[in-house]
Amino acid sequence: MARAVPNSRKAINTAVAWTIAILIFFPILWTVLTSFKTEATAIADPPVFLAFDWTLENYTAVQERSDYFRHFWNSVVISLGSTIIGLIIAIPAAWAMAFVPGRQTKNVLMWMLSTKMLPPVGVLVPLYLIFRDWGLLDTRLGLVIVLTLINLPIIVWMLYTYFREIPVDILEAARMDGAGLASEVIYVLTPMAVPGIASTLLLNIILAWNEAFWTLNLTAANAAPLTAFIASYSSPEGLFYAKLSAASTMAIAPILIMGWFSQKQLVRGLTFGAVK
Amino acid sequence: MATQHSRAAARFMIAPSVIVLLLWMAVPLALTLYFSFLRYNLLMPGENPFVGWENYSYFLTDPAFQTAIVNTLILVLGVLFITVLGGIGLAVLLDQPMWGTGIVRIMVISPFFVMPTVSALVWKNMFMNPVNGLFAFLAGTFGMAPFDFLTQAPLASIVGIVSWQWLPFATLILLTAMQSLDSEQLEAAEMDGASAWSRFWYIKLPHLARAITVVVLIQTIFLLSIFAEILVTTNGGPGTASTNLTYLVYAESLLRFDVGTGSAGGVVAIILANIVAIFLMRMIGKNLDA
Amino acid sequence: MGNITLEKVQKKFGETEVIPPLDLAIEDGEFVVFVGPSGCGKSTLLRLIAGLEDVSSGEIRIDGKPATDLPPAKRGLAMVFQSYALYPHMSVRKNIAFPLKMAGLNAEEQNKRVERAAAVLNLTDYLDRRPGQLSGGQRQRVAIGRSIVREPAAFLFDEPLSNLDAALRVGMRLEITELHERLKTTMIYVTHDQVEAMTMADKIVVLRAGHVEQVGSPLELYRNPRNLFVAGFIGSPKMNLMTGEHAARHDCTTIGVRPEHMRIVEEGGTFTGRIIVSEHLGSDTFFHVEIPGMDEPMTVRADGEIGLRHGDTIHLEPEARQIHRFDEKGLRLA
Repeated sequence: MARAVPNSRKAINTAVAWTIAILIFFPILWTVLTSFKTEATAIADPPVFLAFDWTLENYTAVQERSDYFRHFWNSVVISLGSTIIGLIIAIPAAWAMAFVPGRQTKNVLMWMLSTKMLPPVGVLVPLYLIFRDWGLLDTRLGLVIVLTLINLPIIVWMLYTYFREIPVDILEAARMDGAGLASEVIYVLTPMAVPGIASTLLLNIILAWNEAFWTLNLTAANAAPLTAFIASYSSPEGLFYAKLSAASTMAIAPILIMGWFSQKQLVRGLTFGAVK
Repeated sequence: MATQHSRAAARFMIAPSVIVLLLWMAVPLALTLYFSFLRYNLLMPGENPFVGWENYSYFLTDPAFQTAIVNTLILVLGVLFITVLGGIGLAVLLDQPMWGTGIVRIMVISPFFVMPTVSALVWKNMFMNPVNGLFAFLAGTFGMAPFDFLTQAPLASIVGIVSWQWLPFATLILLTAMQSLDSEQLEAAEMDGASAWSRFWYIKLPHLARAITVVVLIQTIFLLSIFAEILVTTNGGPGTASTNLTYLVYAESLLRFDVGTGSAGGVVAIILANIVAIFLMRMIGKNLDA
Repeated sequence: MGNITLEKVQKKFGETEVIPPLDLAIEDGEFVVFVGPSGCGKSTLLRLIAGLEDVSSGEIRIDGKPATDLPPAKRGLAMVFQSYALYPHMSVRKNIAFPLKMAGLNAEEQNKRVERAAAVLNLTDYLDRRPGQLSGGQRQRVAIGRSIVREPAAFLFDEPLSNLDAALRVGMRLEITELHERLKTTMIYVTHDQVEAMTMADKIVVLRAGHVEQVGSPLELYRNPRNLFVAGFIGSPKMNLMTGEHAARHDCTTIGVRPEHMRIVEEGGTFTGRIIVSEHLGSDTFFHVEIPGMDEPMTVRADGEIGLRHGDTIHLEPEARQIHRFDEKGLRLA
């Protein structure tokens, strides 16, 4: 397709695409801008777009009034913890399924996927009661367990599709070159699988960070991650637009940036390899 | 392709994943099923007698259930309609040559990374609020009365918010699928005299069919379980005007503490989700052999 | 040093027997080629020797020591794969050094050996590149380099030239033969190309459906093919096979005459027919001749300068001493 496209057509494409993209992105942009306004400017009529006195007071206020960073830290612990534990359980499984496939491998994979189809509300009641009885309600440990289990099928699947792209020949070559199982995994498989493992890690942190069913239902004040903390703004505090915006901006910024970097891998992860 | 030694090791390595998932799936499912046949309310301690299908008949004949089913359908179908059509359009657009593709892409996919509670609150307060929202201001500049979205059209407003969140997903997947189309096919069609529109209709769209199915199925799974957006914006109201099945079960079990009825509702939700899941699994399963 | 013996080695995948019990002795320093059509089990046999597959029953001995249950890493063999199987994340230097690192050699010794191998294989200028930046032929050399540095008991080659273009293939064929002359190490080479087998081997093992059809030097196989399959497989173009009255005249079921053993005569001759295709290679001309009463055209190799053309009538006489006779089971008659 090495043909020149007329600049006029390119200009039209560009104008249309940018307009639509800015419209789609606008709510995020508006939130970020509002977070730097005073409460009065935030609800000014007519709305102020850029020409206002930029202030950081909302960010300090959010932290002071509601101990923002504890919830931020909860989100970090829960999403990182569940993803890393998930990877530790899933890497050996995906390795085995990709390189030593048996007759049952496909069935096991499909069954794992089917657990992901279970609507959370279907097991809400027993899980809530089990958590209550075992003292796991409103603990980070409890959420780490649940999110690990929820995302485990996705992690196994993503790793499996990445591992399967590593040619078996190369692992066999390592064996012929005198490498034992440990050397094979450390020197050959892992370096080749690192990009895949990294994308899996990234996508699952994103999914865990934004999970908003279990985090809302199984936490109260202590272990509440940002999803649950932000939800508390739905009551009157929500009318403090600038503070709501500051809290929201901090909640979405890290994930937004990670998401931008992992957009290509996202497709594979979210469609279980059905679209590449 | 493997030796006996490696096969034994493989089984050992798969075991942890299988065991934890089996526990995760089997135990709560069995309990949900068990509770759904009991009279069990957390506010009324004491005996939890077996009551047969009572919870089911109570849940299924509750007028709120019918509303919830209709709302769930509207929510799922409405969002699917908007995101799939919009996704195809955006995918076609982003596939064109232009300046700044990278930045456009980043802007378009961003809403997907915004956590549901944030997007719901931002839309609810800063855009849809009838007094201070941007929409109210826009209505004012055109001389119209502000519209109270979440009170007067709660379900449509939620459809709008959720569509904004999922449009990037559909776009991203359809765009990826579109770019995987072999350019020689398009060149061959051009040599055969096909116009741009015919190339879209006869080659690109059929090529996208599979990706569209995947988008529909995966989104359906997630859309059936929409929860945070409703909790934060309308609490299912006014009345039950924006209550979907997930929210109804949540309300039964954790707001009214009726474990029995909530469990019966959970079982109903599982059955509905399974119908979709079977189709999705078939599609992905076929892909495994390829 | 590098003799390898297989005793009653058998391989099954589930219920299917891919290789029925098979005996084979490979002497130290021999260049042995496994040849056969695709699916004949030649690669499986190589992988059994390598240890990449379990044998279902039987015994493999390397240097007289039992190796049947040894993992590949402990067999002291090196293998060159069809896909080259280079480690994409390592430089050429690290690729070649990998087996040495696994053997626990110190860095200095590793480096010395890598430099030596690179010099032999003309890779010195490429040592710091990644495999992805090399051409097919260079990758092939790296794969060979990786296998020679640790001085294995034997080299295993799995169709190593099939991903190269025709010109490179001939060049690499010579290089591998030269390498064998210099190292005098046992080599086992799998290919489906009988030209590679004929030009490189000390000993050819012809396989079909897991069975060894014949073992012998290239010329033995060419002169005395044990059965119809070997007769048809070895030699290019293929041997002409005739049944019916032509064979009956020689008291057998089938006779075979190679294209190069058909003489063109002015008149008479055993066969008379019409040329349907003539292929001029310059040095030789191949005529495909349609002969009344025969199903397939007969192939004849003639001088490059001969003046016959498409449509001409041609008279042919096989050289009497070069007629191969086969019985009803397809076995050679003495």
